Amino acid sequence: MTINGTRITFRMTPFRLVLIGFSLIFVGIVAYRLVNGLQMTNLTDAWPWGLWIYVDVKLGVALAAGGFTTAGIYYVLGVKKVKSVVKPAILTAWLGYCLVGFGLLMDLGRWYGWWHPIFSWGEHSVMFELYMCVLLYTIVLTCEFAPVLFKGLGLRKVSSFFTRLTAPLVIGGIALSTMHQSSLGSMYVLTLGKLNELWWTMLLPILYYSSAVAVGPAMVTCETALAGRFFRHDWDAPAMTYLAKWSGYVMTFYTVLRVGDLAVRGQLTALFALDTVSLMCLLELVIGCLLPLWFFWSYKLLGREMTQTMIVRNAVLMVLGVALNRGNVVFTGMAKAAGASYFPSVAELFLTFGLISVGILIYLFIVENFDVFPAHDQQAAPGPAQAHG
Amino acid sequence: MRRKGKSFGAGARLGAIEKRARRVGRKRREMARDRSAREIISAEDVDDMETKSNKGLPCSRRFFLKGLGAAGLSGALATLSGCKDAGKPSGGEGWTPQQYNAPGSWPVQVRGRVPIDPANPSIVRDDRKCILCGQCAEACERVQSVEGFYGLPIKNDITCVNCGQCALWCPTGAIGERDDIARVLRVIGDAKLHVIVQTAPATRIAIGEEFGMPAGSIVEGKMVAALKLLGFDRVFDTNFSADLTIMEEGTELIGRIKAAGGQHESEDHGHAPTALPQFTSCSPGWVKFCEYFYPDLLEHMSTCKSPQQMLGSVAKTYYAKKKGIDPKQIVSVSIMPCTAKKFEAARGEMNSAGALAGNPELRDVNFVLTTRELARMIKRKGIDLANLAPQPYDSLMGEGTGAAVIFAATGGVMEAAVRSGYYLLTGQNPPDALLNLTAVRGLQGVKEASLEVPGFGELRVAVASGLGNARQLLDQIRADKQAGLPPRYHFVEFMACPGGCISGGGQPKTSVPPGDWVRKERIRSIYAIDATIYKKRLSHENKEVLDLYAEYLGQPNGELAHRLLHTTYTDRSGSLTAKNKA
Amino acid sequence: MSKGVLVDMTKCFGCGACTVACKLWNEKKYDEVNKPTLGEAAQLVDINWTVVSKHDVTDQGGHAAWRFAKKQCLHCVDPACASSCLVGALRKTPEGPVVYHPDLCVGCRYCMVACPFNIPKYEWDKSFPKVSKCQMCFTRVVAGEQPACIAVCPNQVMQFGDRDQLVKTAHQRIAANKGLYIDHLFGETEVGGTAWLYLSDQPFDKLGFKTAVPQESLPAYTWQILSKLPAILLGWTAILSGIYFINKRRNAAAEGKLDRTGGPQA
Repeated sequence: MTINGTRITFRMTPFRLVLIGFSLIFVGIVAYRLVNGLQMTNLTDAWPWGLWIYVDVKLGVALAAGGFTTAGIYYVLGVKKVKSVVKPAILTAWLGYCLVGFGLLMDLGRWYGWWHPIFSWGEHSVMFELYMCVLLYTIVLTCEFAPVLFKGLGLRKVSSFFTRLTAPLVIGGIALSTMHQSSLGSMYVLTLGKLNELWWTMLLPILYYSSAVAVGPAMVTCETALAGRFFRHDWDAPAMTYLAKWSGYVMTFYTVLRVGDLAVRGQLTALFALDTVSLMCLLELVIGCLLPLWFFWSYKLLGREMTQTMIVRNAVLMVLGVALNRGNVVFTGMAKAAGASYFPSVAELFLTFGLISVGILIYLFIVENFDVFPAHDQQAAPGPAQAHG
Repeated sequence: MRRKGKSFGAGARLGAIEKRARRVGRKRREMARDRSAREIISAEDVDDMETKSNKGLPCSRRFFLKGLGAAGLSGALATLSGCKDAGKPSGGEGWTPQQYNAPGSWPVQVRGRVPIDPANPSIVRDDRKCILCGQCAEACERVQSVEGFYGLPIKNDITCVNCGQCALWCPTGAIGERDDIARVLRVIGDAKLHVIVQTAPATRIAIGEEFGMPAGSIVEGKMVAALKLLGFDRVFDTNFSADLTIMEEGTELIGRIKAAGGQHESEDHGHAPTALPQFTSCSPGWVKFCEYFYPDLLEHMSTCKSPQQMLGSVAKTYYAKKKGIDPKQIVSVSIMPCTAKKFEAARGEMNSAGALAGNPELRDVNFVLTTRELARMIKRKGIDLANLAPQPYDSLMGEGTGAAVIFAATGGVMEAAVRSGYYLLTGQNPPDALLNLTAVRGLQGVKEASLEVPGFGELRVAVASGLGNARQLLDQIRADKQAGLPPRYHFVEFMACPGGCISGGGQPKTSVPPGDWVRKERIRSIYAIDATIYKKRLSHENKEVLDLYAEYLGQPNGELAHRLLHTTYTDRSGSLTAKNKA
Repeated sequence: MSKGVLVDMTKCFGCGACTVACKLWNEKKYDEVNKPTLGEAAQLVDINWTVVSKHDVTDQGGHAAWRFAKKQCLHCVDPACASSCLVGALRKTPEGPVVYHPDLCVGCRYCMVACPFNIPKYEWDKSFPKVSKCQMCFTRVVAGEQPACIAVCPNQVMQFGDRDQLVKTAHQRIAANKGLYIDHLFGETEVGGTAWLYLSDQPFDKLGFKTAVPQESLPAYTWQILSKLPAILLGWTAILSGIYFINKRRNAAAEGKLDRTGGPQA
């Protein structure tokens, strides 16, 4: 079998062997879970949602926001200099959403009924909106990435058919993403009285959406930096700088809104109560907002050229900040209302590791065999083993 | 697009969904129509939305419309064909007793059940067996006048006299005694401990029923043999302490009568109450009932302990001393027809022997088993009670008279007291007519008698069994007292359970009340033992009792007797808001 | 007319008949050791749709007293769980009960997160678990009968009727028994109102009730956001399309030809 006229390649490296190991464990856990239910988790009536919802859904969707943001920047805003990151971003978003879908399926107690929402609408439910958007957006992403896949498989006509759909797909994708990225926040509007006031606000949808728009390009930056190291790509400075600025401005907007909201709702004293909850909130704000914005604006105001290190560091901080924010909403902010403690079981942890491993393996496979990176020539490309080692 | 916005919030569509939930009395066809209408709207909405979003894209618009139209249609079709029905709501697949399935606010007459504190020492309930038939509540309220006779909200107690009639009435066995078998087996298995057991008068005519014998079968000797096989070191008879009770209670009665007549006995220790009538105190359910509802009449309560507790305290003093056993090594078990006895044994003040020996932790009676529990123990051990060779009770506390055994039946304590009271008042044994005091026998709730005692005059007595019946007498006595009238009676016997101990809350459930047949058979056997089987019929002739006084206690109602055989009572009216009517 | 239940907690003496009626009628398993339905440790779990919890309090006279609180789903007037369900498996019926349809449920457990009273429980030990909560004996109610727990109560602690009427009755009772009840009808305004209403002589937080809940309907908050989404979706799509076409025309003008697709392959 050939792709792009060449033989399929998949280099074995120790890193990949570990990932395959995780993936095999993952398959076993999945099989066991599908048959035996959620007994293997540490979920309880007090903690109906745990690690899977947090990592596989909340975080996964937020970090996969790079797909619609970069696509939007490139296609809609017409910023051509980010071209090099668009295809990898769409690929990671597509894989991300597939994994999110699978993670959600694992979390569903009656997973065999995953299709029920299509026919039985709970239109008052944010979850319904989220489900529909994620479902449609996954299809949209599949279509967006389809040209690369079909081209690789030699089906040029199919590929060009999907290529012609790109514009409506991207616009539809942004619309769908706007809805469900904000919905991840709206979901917690219903927890008024349960979710700690440091996080509960009617602005949750806007905060979630804006942080996703900021963290999407940041995540793309991280991925590009990693992929660049593995595959020895050149650092596309104009594209990366553009994304860093984008994230910086949007994160500024988010931070102003977030802190302003806390101030308006009179939560600033609670923010500095210095108990576990407030410390977690401060940590989230410092890592995700204050530090990256400090770096960003100091470069910006001094008129300095942003270096690769600074861009990547900022991106990493933002990703961590958003991870903390989502985790705080799911766990820290709900802990008091739950009145019990939760720590994921081994099975929960390994299913999550496995899911991520599978994602990385598929990513590596596609990157090595399909035309994802612009100047990519898989024959000449050094194996990731060398890069890794 | 306005239509879409509307359909999101519109009550009309919501109504349609809700209607679908109501399956009872709904036609399926109607539901299908509702559903199809809804889905078609949905599909159109999707089309509408996509049309707008793809405006101005000539190359893909048609394809998009077609594709989404097809998807929407197939969704609608799938829904129409019943792919996704709301299905049955959760729950409601079980049953409740017919009485509760009445429509609307129809007043259910017999409903619910009695409350039982999980810490109740006497009775427990297994919810798995409860069918909410309401029989326990019937027994508690209508027979015993406990439930419903206190106001709500409750205080910090679930009012319960521990009588166990609810357990006896319970048709499914959901309510039973708190099972102490395991604890008793553990002490029997401990070789260092000297485990003694006493059996109440009413056990010997009832336990046979558990082994297929006719109602009222007298199995005294077989029961003793079984207890010895079970490993008890000594088997004593509560009849012994029933005779002892008569000596004490009779003496107390005469003291009260004389005090009322202005005479004072030299051995009066100043703390003996003088109120008449005197109430019997053998039935712990009755005692607690009086403490709850008639604390103002507690001065009428005989200060004598019940026979169970008397034997318990004598065992750890007199018996221990005579046999040279450390009281701490003695474990005292009793077999009772009664669940309230478990409560009685656990009362704080029931530690006379220990208190006397300076070890107040020591209980006079350690464990109380009901007749039913003993039957279970015997069955588990594989002992065939019916075919055992009878054995006698052990000495020192094994002798009993007919006057003691009739304690088991309502009126029996009264009759026994009259027999010995006659002797104490006149110095002579009663005439034969007084040995069969039929006026106080039988299942009638309240009985009265009046007898002529030479040199004393008229002795007026009354007997009540079942606390609802007791309440009638008590209200009368209370009213008389408040009106300053002279006492109507000299002596009143109260038994918590209707018919007395023979149908106590711990007896075999061979015949679930309210049937009287088994009760009557048991009572007949009790009087048969008194009349024909035992050699003696008078408590003051019990040789072992007389020895106890001679060798250890001294005089009835004497100093030591008071410390070991008499007790005090607690006003429990603060634990509830008593009401006269349910 | 939407039905409701008025519970007078001063009348409960803790027999637990209601919990047994619930188990009988709904065929729930018993586990008094690990999941008791009565007493201090009683808590709602998958097999316990209703429990009677015991609380040590101080009565009006300053004496130690026991109070028993019957707990079950409160059947909100505007239930957060029903609004949270993405398949409509939880529904507020016109008769009052909030009913769960397991055949629709996909098991996302958003209802459990959404419920302000933490009522819905989950059958964690099952392969295909259901959400588990009181159905207010929906099938009995539509048949004109009382919920099982209410029918069996020996003290008639609970009164079943039209919710609106019960609210009036409750206020009359509070007014007529000033020394007894505290002036708070729990469930009248909590989370916008619940079908189950409670009278008590004790502050409700002492009886294990969650009193720190919003006094408005929770779905109304979500609806403020959700109802705007179609407009946002449309407007946003239109804006994006507009920007797209402007940029495309500008690019085309710059490059001198019309890029038909604008794809990265071009």
